[in-house]
Amino acid sequence: MPDIVTIRDLSKIYRQGEIEVTALDHISLTIAQSEFLSLMGPSGSGKSTLLHIIAGIDRPTSGECVVQNVRVTELDESALADWRNQNVGFVFQTFNLIPVLTAFENVELPLLLMNLPSSRRRELVLTALDLVGLADRAKHLPRQLSGGQEQRVAIARALVTDPKLIVADEPTGNLDHQSAEDVLQILQTLSREAEKTVIMVTHDPRAAAYGSRNIHLEKGELQLA
Amino acid sequence: MTIAGFIVKNALRNKRRALLSILSVSVSLFLFVTLLTLMRELTSPPEDIGASLRIAVRSKVSIADPLPARQLPLIEKIPGVQAVMPLTYFGGKFRDEEVMFAQFGVFPERFVELFGEAKIPAEQFDAWKKDRTSCIVGQETATKYGLKVGDRMTLTGTFYPCDLELKVVGLYTGTLDDRNVWFHQSYLDEALGNWGNVGTWWIRAASAEVAPQIITAVNAAFENTANPVRAETERAFQMSFVSMWGNIKVLIGSICAVVVFTLLLVSASTMSMAIRERFRELAVLKAIGFRRRELFAFILAESMALSVLGAVVGAGGCWLLANTVNIEKATGGFFPFFDVTPRILGLAFAIAATIGIVASLAPSIAVARTSVVEGLRTLD
Repeated sequence: MPDIVTIRDLSKIYRQGEIEVTALDHISLTIAQSEFLSLMGPSGSGKSTLLHIIAGIDRPTSGECVVQNVRVTELDESALADWRNQNVGFVFQTFNLIPVLTAFENVELPLLLMNLPSSRRRELVLTALDLVGLADRAKHLPRQLSGGQEQRVAIARALVTDPKLIVADEPTGNLDHQSAEDVLQILQTLSREAEKTVIMVTHDPRAAAYGSRNIHLEKGELQLA
Repeated sequence: MTIAGFIVKNALRNKRRALLSILSVSVSLFLFVTLLTLMRELTSPPEDIGASLRIAVRSKVSIADPLPARQLPLIEKIPGVQAVMPLTYFGGKFRDEEVMFAQFGVFPERFVELFGEAKIPAEQFDAWKKDRTSCIVGQETATKYGLKVGDRMTLTGTFYPCDLELKVVGLYTGTLDDRNVWFHQSYLDEALGNWGNVGTWWIRAASAEVAPQIITAVNAAFENTANPVRAETERAFQMSFVSMWGNIKVLIGSICAVVVFTLLLVSASTMSMAIRERFRELAVLKAIGFRRRELFAFILAESMALSVLGAVVGAGGCWLLANTVNIEKATGGFFPFFDVTPRILGLAFAIAATIGIVASLAPSIAVARTSVVEGLRTLD
């Protein structure tokens, strides 16, 4: 499979007053299409920072990040927003669904930016909800769903624009064992059968085991597992 | 789902807060519109066609000082003067109570020349001219007190040490204030023991063009006499009554400014709170592709929707009230007119829109400045 993500000599330094904290220290990495990459490491190791830079929601201090042949580090804010909408699906630890919107409407949100007719949006949303096994919960509000179901809705929202890349930051951190397994299996299926590239940050070795490759970060440096 | 639907759902997500926000805007703008309308009624005397031709002449010392009746022939000789008539405010009580209608002593035979807009049957007008003790009554006052032609009404003097026993011989309509009672100046003069004075003189100019010259001439004619006068246009004369209230424009203007400023602070605070609670959601929206300008539009639309809805309820409610309730009756005749003009309504809506915009600025800037990563960490 061709590489979908290429990172070269990437560094990220946070400045807090006069103190500098190195979150990522000259990292180079490639991630192939349909790979399910688990990013592991202790708190503060820089794994979430790396995920955010790949997903285009944070910028490195130096180095290069190319995703699907696009130098995301060189895009301006507006272009980056468009790029994220079309190329990246996000799954967060705390689900981050909009509480006043139904499951259907939450999944529909990214499509509102795509100038699609409502019938097409409806078709895509129902397909995405069906993929995560929640087509029958389309009209439910997030508070009417379990944590596992909420996370599956979040995965449907990440999938609905058919992005090549799905980034998941501790997607099972707030879930019970069974729900966590369900979510991980969905992510694994997306990687294996839909050829999505999944990059997942996790503390949990059992969750990491679902990945096709594990990477450890320690003090901002890569350590091969 | 549409973008508009998304905005409405967000605006109404905390229904109690949304309702209180709308109410705070509506109550404030109701007060604002009411105050502006009151100020307009107090400071803009009604004007009719004849107003541009009418000149009021009063004592230069004080409006309460009477003028000698002997001034009449001198005024009549001034070029451009078409008619002169005394107009003496009696200020009496009726049926032993303070009343909301004025009573004036005039020359009936000159009345039509000065206040030609009054509509009264010819036979009633003739009857008034012929009977020195008679009066004509505005239709509103007649209705309020159940007066009809042939009735007698006694006005008990408060300024003047006499009472007037008047016979109602006519009812008139068609003026901007159909409440006044008009009687013979000569009857008042007689009741006061040949008083020989009048309250004010009212002049009708031959044309609007000569009115300024008449004013100058009248002022000059009595400048070095024992009774200097101040001649002025009807509007200026009316405004001198308003000035007795003090600087009411500044007072009401200050209250309006405080109302608007307080409303601005409340709205800005409410919007800031509402957005602060959703920082992480807005960060998620940014992450999935919404740009800063789209988020700003969401916040602006939400803020505008709440404030404009408040204006619809508040300013619209005031307009509805003014058009459905008899304000004259409700205020005991104090405000015979209460016109919520399109200009005042427009101003209220413009203020609501401005408040909507200003209230959305701080949260929009905060959202724009916050990166996706910072936003996602907000409530973590």
